Amino acid sequence: MQQEVVLAMLAKEPSHGYELRARLQQALGPAGDAMNAGQIYVTLGRLEKAGLVTCEQAAGLPDRPDRKVYALTADGQQRVTEWVTDTSWPGPGLAEFHLKLIAAAAARLADPLAIIDAQRRELLRSLRDTQRAAMAEPPGSDAALLLEGIVLRLQADLRWLEACERKWTGRKDRS
Amino acid sequence: MNETAGPEAAGGTPVLRARGLHKHYGKDAGLVRAVDGVDLDVDAGETVAVTGPSGCGKSTLLHLLGGLDRASAGEIWLAGRRVDQLGERALARLRREAVGFVFQAFHLMDELTAVENVELPGLLAGQSPRAARRRAAGLLERVGLADRAGFLPSALSGGQRQRVAIARALVADPLVVLADEPTGNLDSEATLDVLRLFDSLHAAGQTLVIVTHDSRIAATADRLISMRDGEFVDQTRLTGGTTGSLGTLAGLEG
Amino acid sequence: MVMGKLVLISRLAGRDIRRHPAQAVLLLLAITAATAVLSLGLVLHGVTSQPYQQTRAATNGPDVVAYLPALHGPGVRPGPPAAAAALARAPGVTGHGGPYPDVWTIIRARGLSAGAEAEGRTQASSPIDQPKLTAGGWVRPGHVVIERTFADALGVGVGDRVTLGGQAFTVGGIAVTAAVPPYPNLCQVTGGGCVGGAPGGEQVPPRDLGMIWVTEPDALRLATPAAPVSTYVLDLRLGDPAQAEAFAAGHSGGPGSAGLSNMVGWPDLAAADGLLVQDEQQVLSPGALLAALLAVASVAVLAGGRMAEHTRRTGLLKAAGGGPGLVAGVLLAENLVLALAAAAAGLLAGWLAAPLITSPGAALVGTPGAPSLTVPIAAEVVAVAVAVALAATLVPAIRAARTSTVSALAGVARPPRRRAALIAISRRLPVPLLLGLRLVARRPRRAILGAASIMITTAGVVAVLAFHVTADRGDQATASGLSDPVVIRDEQMLLVLTVVLLALTALNAVCAAWTTVLDTRAASALARALGATPRQVGAGIAAAQVIPAVPGALLGIPLGIELFAAASRAGRVVVPPAWWLAAAVLGVLIAAAALASIPAWAGTRRPAAEILQAEMV
Repeated sequence: MQQEVVLAMLAKEPSHGYELRARLQQALGPAGDAMNAGQIYVTLGRLEKAGLVTCEQAAGLPDRPDRKVYALTADGQQRVTEWVTDTSWPGPGLAEFHLKLIAAAAARLADPLAIIDAQRRELLRSLRDTQRAAMAEPPGSDAALLLEGIVLRLQADLRWLEACERKWTGRKDRS
Repeated sequence: MNETAGPEAAGGTPVLRARGLHKHYGKDAGLVRAVDGVDLDVDAGETVAVTGPSGCGKSTLLHLLGGLDRASAGEIWLAGRRVDQLGERALARLRREAVGFVFQAFHLMDELTAVENVELPGLLAGQSPRAARRRAAGLLERVGLADRAGFLPSALSGGQRQRVAIARALVADPLVVLADEPTGNLDSEATLDVLRLFDSLHAAGQTLVIVTHDSRIAATADRLISMRDGEFVDQTRLTGGTTGSLGTLAGLEG
Repeated sequence: MVMGKLVLISRLAGRDIRRHPAQAVLLLLAITAATAVLSLGLVLHGVTSQPYQQTRAATNGPDVVAYLPALHGPGVRPGPPAAAAALARAPGVTGHGGPYPDVWTIIRARGLSAGAEAEGRTQASSPIDQPKLTAGGWVRPGHVVIERTFADALGVGVGDRVTLGGQAFTVGGIAVTAAVPPYPNLCQVTGGGCVGGAPGGEQVPPRDLGMIWVTEPDALRLATPAAPVSTYVLDLRLGDPAQAEAFAAGHSGGPGSAGLSNMVGWPDLAAADGLLVQDEQQVLSPGALLAALLAVASVAVLAGGRMAEHTRRTGLLKAAGGGPGLVAGVLLAENLVLALAAAAAGLLAGWLAAPLITSPGAALVGTPGAPSLTVPIAAEVVAVAVAVALAATLVPAIRAARTSTVSALAGVARPPRRRAALIAISRRLPVPLLLGLRLVARRPRRAILGAASIMITTAGVVAVLAFHVTADRGDQATASGLSDPVVIRDEQMLLVLTVVLLALTALNAVCAAWTTVLDTRAASALARALGATPRQVGAGIAAAQVIPAVPGALLGIPLGIELFAAASRAGRVVVPPAWWLAAAVLGVLIAAAALASIPAWAGTRRPAAEILQAEMV
């Protein structure tokens, strides 16, 4: 489980392990079925070791990971802020961006529409550069084929970003 | 013909300018606001791309700018001259001399060869047949189809047909070329050909306004406008480099 | 299941008609025109012989009329020849009237003069051939009874003063008879002075002779040494009327006839009576044919124009699961409804119009009531209308069955053919002609049809002009200035025919232009998008009708001259003056252009963008 995602989940407020898990499952839906409890706690452990997260035992309860309360440290907060504005692509996958938007909205870290817009611009720039490189290639070159693949994926991602924008605009209008 | 100068003096005047454009259909419950208050400035030599979901009014906007349809309200200036109030005759002249249109469906005449299609606006403008033919042949060479001049559209691929249509739009050396989803009916390879052509036109200083939902075209424009529900919601200039590299995009670990 | 299908078919057909009302109306008009002309022709066909029969019955008309030359000269007793008595007793004769003395004289009335055959009669009624009075009373001393058509031509009525051979008479009555043909066909059967003798020293053309009746003493008084009693007329009734012609042939040239005796059977009289209407028939038949052709041309143009529409609709129906049967059924239902409505309208129009034309030669006691619209005639007209509906359905239905659903949906009914030569020529022409010529090149068959219809119209106009030339020249007019009923009749006929032809051509022009507009919607919109003004595009569409009209009009001139020659009795080739022809051709072309511009203008009203967008869908 991507560390930054877990961090972002804690940005709104500290929470129990099981609460975290529940939130992730709700956000991921069927895509999160393969996720098991252990992965989250392993990540949390790493984060604690890195000093980005603190862990407290709720009083009077048995010593189990899901009963512990996790919270962000100052370092952790900063890491989250950087992550939210990072526009590098492709990154590990769609899930990360998806959770980024949800976390940003829930914790009021940033306007999801602004995140989408920034990412879109970045992708467009990449598309532009790739397109220019493709046009400069002699016809039938092998590299042209690779570049076409990049173009097609970028196009697909851009279409998804447009869909994200539509959905999050609707959400914003309703709230 | 009214020669009302636009708000800006010549020299630095945008080639195309629109203020408060509206286009409505129907009324009361059936009222459709296809274009709902659009302001636009296009400078000489600029390539502007307008994107948006289908039904957002971008094609309608282009038709208004090209004089193919009349706006319900608003003003349009072309090279400093007010054009939204022109009569049918003057509009036709506008389409002949100042504006070139490229359609998604190409709209070539099936029974005319490529060169006959390209020379048609010239003939309609009253040019001598020889001059029109010469210009048409030259333009076909410009778009790389000199060897297909005598072919019928049915013998040309989609991309070639669109390039013929672009050549036709350039006949009058227009102030601005308006393209409505030019790659909508084209496959990936043909789109690349058209993109190359647009790129070379841009390099030659031609002003282009392209309506598209193809992000490839949008990405190469100087300015990118997003449209939704009849109005502009975003304008971007894609300046600057990218954070990643082509390698990263291709999946190579950076 | 059949009920359901029928309901579905009727619903689809009805909706289709409602969606394109203009096309339906045009088709209706075209078929109505065709059926009206057809029913008119059929109704008129059997009209000729009837009025004669009516007159014959009303006047006890004779089976045979004998003209026995009067004998003159020294030693000859005045009075009817002995042959008359012998004839009256001949085998087969069951009754006779006369013999009556006939004198040729000059009648002068209201400044006009004409020749008249005066028959001397008793004041009492005759058992055979008692002319039926339509006004006034029978012969009295000093009073003359004039045959009805003759009286009309002279312009006299009961009580008017006339002179006969210089002697004053008063018109006592107007009558009709079945024993002689009415004016001006008197000489078609009468012998004797009809060879243009010189009654009273004046040369009178044979056509200017009419029948009058006076008392026998008056008739003898009219005889002069220069114009004595020419013949004695004997009316005969036969036991077997069917033997009339044999009887007449057998007894002509009998003893004492001196080669001039003349016998006429009632069939010849009937034929001569019918000459008046026969003229009309001669003008009517080719005219009706022309009109019918024009009407059919309109239908063909409309059907052809809707082809593209049909193909696409067929594709939709097939894609939705309809079989070729359903498709054909919808098409047939539409056309059938329109055809039946048109047949009814056409029958009504023909029935109403017929009396205007068929009030037969005034001499015949035909009542100007409506000639019978019999059931066979109505059935024939309806059958033709149904046949037209079927024919209009057949071609599209076959094509629909053959076209694959996919290509039908693509709406590619008939892609335009390329005519490189015409395209090359059109480049050098001004914009409207450029557009017009290219439109013609796209649909050559429609252009040919348009040219054909203009040719027919011009032929009709030229035929009318030729008729006027002969009328003016006086070939058919009377030298004495009497109004010639035949000429009047013919003129009326031709006028009606010309009006009908022009109306049909107008309809045709509108149909053709309309279908052109529909067919070229996308091309016209594109032309406008590329910078042609709506006026240029409209002019182009109009030019597309006029360009094929030019050769059509030029070909119509010789065709019209031929038609007139074929239809006229004399069979003469008459060429109207050149400037008349030029005016006719120009008039037809200008009218064609004007009519075509109406749909053309209507078609350029929609914004180009709308049309081009629609074409993409």
